[in-house]
Amino acid sequence: MLVVLLAPKAASDLSLFVQILVIGIANGAIYALIALGYTMVYGIIELINFAHGDVFTLGAFLSLPLLGAFGLTEGKSSGVSVYLALILIAAIVMLLTGTINVVIERVAYRPLRNAPRLAPLITAVGMSFILEGIMYFWRGASPIHYPDLIPNPRIPLLAGATIGLKDIIVIVVAIVLVILLTVFINGSKLGKAMRATAQDREAAQLMGIDINRTIAATFFIGAVLAGAGGVIFGLYFNSVRFDLGFGVGLFAFTAAVFGGIGNIQGAALGGLAIGLVQAFSNAYYQSALTDVWIFAILILVLVFRPTGLLGMQVPER
Amino acid sequence: MKQPRILVGLALASIALAACGNSTSGGSANKGTIKIGVDLPESGAETSNGIPTLNGVKFAVQQKGSVDGFKLEYFNLDDAVNGVHDAVKGAQNVQQFVDDPKVLAVVGPFNSGVARAEIPKTNRAHLVQISPANTNQCLTKDIYIPTALSGKPDVDCKAAGLPFPKDLRPTGANNYFRVATTDDLQGPAMADFALTTLSITKVGVASDAEAYGKGIADTFSSRFTGKGGTVVKRQDFPNASQVHDFTSFLRAAQRAGAQGIYFGGTDSNNACVVRNQMKGIFADSAPFMGGDGIVTGQCLKDAAAQAPGMRGTVATVDASQRPDAKATIDAFKAAYPNASDYGAYTMPSYDCTQIIIAAIHRAIQANGGNMPTRQQVLDQMSKTDYTGALGHTSFDDKGDTTNKVVTVYEAKGSPVDWASVKAFDYTNGL
Repeated sequence: MLVVLLAPKAASDLSLFVQILVIGIANGAIYALIALGYTMVYGIIELINFAHGDVFTLGAFLSLPLLGAFGLTEGKSSGVSVYLALILIAAIVMLLTGTINVVIERVAYRPLRNAPRLAPLITAVGMSFILEGIMYFWRGASPIHYPDLIPNPRIPLLAGATIGLKDIIVIVVAIVLVILLTVFINGSKLGKAMRATAQDREAAQLMGIDINRTIAATFFIGAVLAGAGGVIFGLYFNSVRFDLGFGVGLFAFTAAVFGGIGNIQGAALGGLAIGLVQAFSNAYYQSALTDVWIFAILILVLVFRPTGLLGMQVPER
Repeated sequence: MKQPRILVGLALASIALAACGNSTSGGSANKGTIKIGVDLPESGAETSNGIPTLNGVKFAVQQKGSVDGFKLEYFNLDDAVNGVHDAVKGAQNVQQFVDDPKVLAVVGPFNSGVARAEIPKTNRAHLVQISPANTNQCLTKDIYIPTALSGKPDVDCKAAGLPFPKDLRPTGANNYFRVATTDDLQGPAMADFALTTLSITKVGVASDAEAYGKGIADTFSSRFTGKGGTVVKRQDFPNASQVHDFTSFLRAAQRAGAQGIYFGGTDSNNACVVRNQMKGIFADSAPFMGGDGIVTGQCLKDAAAQAPGMRGTVATVDASQRPDAKATIDAFKAAYPNASDYGAYTMPSYDCTQIIIAAIHRAIQANGGNMPTRQQVLDQMSKTDYTGALGHTSFDDKGDTTNKVVTVYEAKGSPVDWASVKAFDYTNGL
């Protein structure tokens, strides 16, 4: 159906089609980075961590004063030193958001791990509002301009369409992080512990796995990716706001379900799908119906594949 | 027994007045005090809105000094709470004016949302209220966006989420007037500006899908296409504050031949983020247009390096653009020399005050030289026929000014700021 809708558009103006494709993939890459956090946490403790989108926003907010501290200003800073400073800043932010998410888990989720399912769901919603409130009091309700630090020369693709350096950076960073995460989960000892905990928490505990530590590590890694996502989002879109996590988080979570919750590759695929649908809808069809499209496709996919595109990976019962 | 003597006195007074011609300065005789209430946001971030506006009232009152033997005073109250205008505080302020029998009229408020809370209170007291700055249609009219302007079905105030004028006027009669025109002329004015001044014929149009933003986007589009322009791409973005990427819309509009973008919306709904995202898709010189929702300092911050070249409309007269107002503005600046004393609404509030004083004067005369009632002052307002810093002002039956001028502002200069560049006068129709 999508092919039928998009093929004539591509035929009539290939250049625009490729251009929109690039926008969709770049957006999808950012959704994927955030979706990973949702999917990992759900995969291991079956909790929708509503605060995750706000941890992502917090990543962008925390990087703002750091940019100032490193003397990075729009229009003045350039060269390799900018990239080095940005990598350092991103690393600091990732550590901070990771730590904050571990604290959130310890305070708001761990005490409720054996409580009825609804209790941690509500504390997650609560943590989301608390984080948004903190950011609101910190920087106010208005959009905040995020310094445009990365030059965006455009490299020709086919048919006169171009791809910006920023697009490439976003896409490459997302792919690298997804691959690293997959290797880590499949290969490392902690990754194995995480998979074991996800499959059967009690059995894993009997086998000597420290459940609390493993779950905390999951929250940490998810938030590290969200923190990186926040910095990348800021650098790419040059605008952040306190309630960003609500909208972006909702779509990222949807992406996770779309791809198959608990499934790393699924989250990446789901993010990509949502990014593309948004971009094509806003360009070719009515933007007022963009969200309708996304959720209509989601419903169709779930009706025929209830476990998402690539299948769920969640605790067995 | 004293009545005949008063009548004699009145006759003498009216003879004296006739001798003085139209002068409203009543000489030395002090028959009492008449107060003009002033409700504006005067503190915090609103200082730059309220204080220059208050100065316009002060200047007019000081110039006149008295009217027909009554000493004139202003009685100003601040409607800002924690530095932000507050409707509840505004309503409390006008209650103080209502409770003071010497207050015969009120100038203010600054914000339409505050007016909505105040008008019912002044209306019950038959107290004249005149705003120098309010532009929201629904304070005076039932229709938010009329078919005639948008080419789409009428959007009434209720559909726009606002009360009807009659809901604000419990007595059923009008007591509210204003010297700014209404927001529904903003879209047409920018369409005219785009076609005549910017000389562009193809634009992409989008909105934040709210009553204000979609309304001005629709009225802009209707006027623009009606006058020979083409809207090459049209989108609405519901929950625009949660939309972070407008680039696919911008790309599509650019490929369709758009020479500029019109966005109906407010800065809080990411309107000026759209401008920032035009970078790399449109030439930096391509105009970005909108309504008064983008003529803000926040918008300049959001658009950042892309701020220059934004154009926005405001539904008021910029007196500094009118040669006739120069003498008055010069006199004001001689009396109030600091740069921060004068603002965009100084002359509107000056004219408001002059209009009120003239109405009070007529009411005193109609009342035989005595202190008029509030109702008597109100009765005189509809007869207003005044020429001042804003041009010629009279009021229609709803209380709206017949002086329908929309001013276009451009973000320019260094540091970048909003400066008025052109005015469109729709007094004689579109």
